[in-house]
Amino acid sequence: MEDNNKKNKNRKDTQLLTVEDIIREEGARDEKNKTRIISMLKPEIDIAWMYPDTLYLHGDRGNVMALVRYAQNLGLVPKVHRIDLGSGDFNPLDYDILFYGPGEISSFEAVMKDIGTYTRSLAEYVAYGKVMLVTGTTMAMFGERIRRFDPDSANGLGETIDGLCMIPAISEEREYVYGNDLDIRAEYGGYSMELIGTQIQMADVEFYENTNYSRFGSVIYGRGNNGQDGIDGVVYNNAIFTNLLGPVLVANPWLAVTMLKTAADLKGIEIPNDNPDYELEVKSFRLKKQFVEDKM
Amino acid sequence: MSFKTTAGITVGKLGNLAISLIAKNRGTNWAGETAMRIDPELIAHIKGIDADKVIFITGTDGKSTVTNLVAHILRYNGFSVVSNLEGANLTTGVATSLLKASSLGGNVKADYFVFETDERYLYQIREQLPCNNLIVTNILKDQMQRNGDPDYIYRKIRRVIEKFGMNVFLNGDEPRSCSLADYAPKTVFYGAEKHSQAFRKDDTFVTLPCPKCQCSIKFDYYNNDSLGSFHCDKCGYTNNNGNLKEGRRRQADYRSTNADFAARTFRINGTEYTMPYDPPHMLYNYAAATAACKEIAGLTEAQCAEALKSFKLLAGRIESVTYKGRHIKFMRFKQENPETFQNFINTIAADKEDKVVIIGLDTVNDIDPFYMNTFYAFDCDYSQLIRSNVKRFYFVTDTVAYDAANCFMYGGVDPSRVDIIPTGDEEEILDIIEDCGYTNIYLAVTLHKFEIIQEMVRKGK
Repeated sequence: MEDNNKKNKNRKDTQLLTVEDIIREEGARDEKNKTRIISMLKPEIDIAWMYPDTLYLHGDRGNVMALVRYAQNLGLVPKVHRIDLGSGDFNPLDYDILFYGPGEISSFEAVMKDIGTYTRSLAEYVAYGKVMLVTGTTMAMFGERIRRFDPDSANGLGETIDGLCMIPAISEEREYVYGNDLDIRAEYGGYSMELIGTQIQMADVEFYENTNYSRFGSVIYGRGNNGQDGIDGVVYNNAIFTNLLGPVLVANPWLAVTMLKTAADLKGIEIPNDNPDYELEVKSFRLKKQFVEDKM
Repeated sequence: MSFKTTAGITVGKLGNLAISLIAKNRGTNWAGETAMRIDPELIAHIKGIDADKVIFITGTDGKSTVTNLVAHILRYNGFSVVSNLEGANLTTGVATSLLKASSLGGNVKADYFVFETDERYLYQIREQLPCNNLIVTNILKDQMQRNGDPDYIYRKIRRVIEKFGMNVFLNGDEPRSCSLADYAPKTVFYGAEKHSQAFRKDDTFVTLPCPKCQCSIKFDYYNNDSLGSFHCDKCGYTNNNGNLKEGRRRQADYRSTNADFAARTFRINGTEYTMPYDPPHMLYNYAAATAACKEIAGLTEAQCAEALKSFKLLAGRIESVTYKGRHIKFMRFKQENPETFQNFINTIAADKEDKVVIIGLDTVNDIDPFYMNTFYAFDCDYSQLIRSNVKRFYFVTDTVAYDAANCFMYGGVDPSRVDIIPTGDEEEILDIIEDCGYTNIYLAVTLHKFEIIQEMVRKGK
C-alpha cells in the first residue's frame, strides 16, 4: 500500500524524467503519444481502495486482491492505494480503478462528506469512462436519497439522508436483512457474462428512468435491486453499481479481467499477456451454479 | 393472576416435565414457546423478580461462556441462580428457564437471574423481564444473513440501553461496543492487558469505522481478533493510555493482566486466578464475569478466582476423536464469523507439529433460503498458519470447496499443498483422514457433520 500523497510525489519525480527522455528519443510531441509511451514502458494500473476501514464489510478486500492477481496475470503492474476517510487531496483522475466496498448506512454521511470534496472530479472520472466498482448497500449512497428504518416510529419510516445523486436511485432501509445467493447475467465492457455471488440487502433500491444508465445485470436467481423488476444494479459508462458483494471479483475473475482490460485500454496500455487463468474459478462456478439451480 | 397466565404456566411446566423425562438435552425452547402461545406476556406475569438482580448477557461472541461463568461463580459462592445455560437465548428460551423455576402461582425465588439473550431479541425480552444490568461481550461481524452488519446489532442494543436505562458492562478493548457507554447511566469496563499471544495485522486487512467519527480505527496490537489497543487518529477515540485526548479515555475497571499461558495463570486487580481454559479470548470472559459478580453480587476477586478453579464449559472448544491411529481435532467455529474462524486458524498455527488441515466451509443452512458464504474467510490472516508445518490442506464440501481453497491460496497458502475434493460425504472425509499419511489432523466442518463423523468413528465407520 502506498500513501496517496507519497505516491503522487514519487510518480511525478520518476516519471517526468523518463518521459522527457523518451520524448527526446522518439520525437513524440503530443500528449496522447506521451501517455502511450509511459504506459508501454510501465504498464501500471493504479487501484484506489476507497475507505477500506469504513466500507469494510463482507471480506471485500478480496476484490482488491483479485484485481492485483489478475493484473499480474495479464502482465500489468498493479499498484494499490488505500484511501482512508479524511486523508485529503484525493483526485480520482489519478487512478485507473476505484473500488468502493459495502459499508454501513450509519457511515454514509461521513463518507459522502469526504466524497463531497472531489465530487466534480469523480463525475468527470465516470464521464470519461474510467472504471469504478461499487458493491452492496454502498450503492444506495450514490443515489438520490436513502430513507432509514426507525423501529420507534409508527410506520417504521425514519430520517431521510440525501445521497450523492450520481445514479438515478432511491433507497429504503429494510426492517429485516435479506441475504441470499445472487446469480445475474451482466453486460460490461462489450461482454456478456454470468456472475454468481452473495447479496446481503440492507436497503431496497428503486431506479427511475434515465437513458444514460442501463441495468448492470438481469437476475437469474436472487433478489437484485428490489426483488420485483429482475434487475441488479446499474452501470454508467464503465462504473458498476451492484448488489453483489463479498469477493465478487475472486469468484468471477472474468469481470475483474474485463475491468482491468477496460482500464488498460483507456490508459493506452496493450495487454502483454491476454491469457488469464480461470481454471479453479470455473470449477467453483459450476458447483455454485448447481446449488443455485437446485434452489430454483 | 389471569386464567391465561395460569394456563400458560401449567402447560409450560408440564412441558418441561415431559421434556425432562423424554430427552433432557432437547426442547430448551419448547415449553416456553407453548406457554407463550397461551399467554404472550407470560414472562411479564412471573412474580418475584428484582431488576437489580437480573443480568442479561448479549453480544456476538462469548455470551454463552460468560453466562455460564457468571452463573457458576454465583452458585459456587452460595447464591441460587436461574439461568438459560443451555443457550436457548430467545424470548421463549428465557421463558422456559423461568417456568422451570417458578411455582404454579407464577412466583419465582432465586438470588440472581442470569440470562444469555440473543442480540436481536434483547428488546422483546427486556420489555417483559425487568433487568438493570447488561453485559455486552462484543459486537462483531456475524450471521450476515440475519444481522446484516454490526451496526444493525449496535442500534438494537443501544435502543434497549437508552429506553430502559440499563447499567452496562462493556468490553473496553472492542471499539464498537465500548462506545455504548455514551448511552448508559452507568458503565463498568472490562478488558485485558497485552499478552504474549498478541499479534498485529498489516494494512492489507481492514479494521472497522470509528463509532464516533467513522474514520479508520487503528489497532496497535490485537489480543484477539478485533480486540486490543485501538485508537482513531481523527477524533482521538481510544482505549490506549498512551494516546489520549481529554474525555475519550476508556480505561478498563476489570482487566486481566499478567497472563501466563504456560502456567495457566493471570491476575485481575492484583488477585491471581487460574485459567480453566487458556485461549486468549477467555481472558475477556473472565474479566467480564468478575466485573459482574463483584459489582452486582458484591463478591471479591478472590471469591471469583476460587470459583473459577472448578469451572467447566458445557461444550469444549476442541473435541478429539481417534480413528485408525489418526488424532482428529475438531474445533468449533461459527460460519459467517471471521473472528471465530481466525481463532481457529490461530489455534492450529500454535501447534508446530506436522499436521493436516481439513477445511469444510459449507453452505449456511441457518434460515431459509440456505446460501453460500465463504467471504468472511477473506478477513482472516493465514500467515502464521502457513509457517506452522501444515503438510497438506484438504478442502471438502460439495458446494464451496473451491471457493474456500481459493481464499486460502489468496491468503498465501501454497497451491501445491492443496487438495480440493468437492464432496459432502462424511465417509470420503474419513477416507482422506485415513490415507493422508499424518496422524495430527485438524478438522473444520460444521458441528452436524462432525457429529456424524464422530458417530461413524464410534461404530468403526
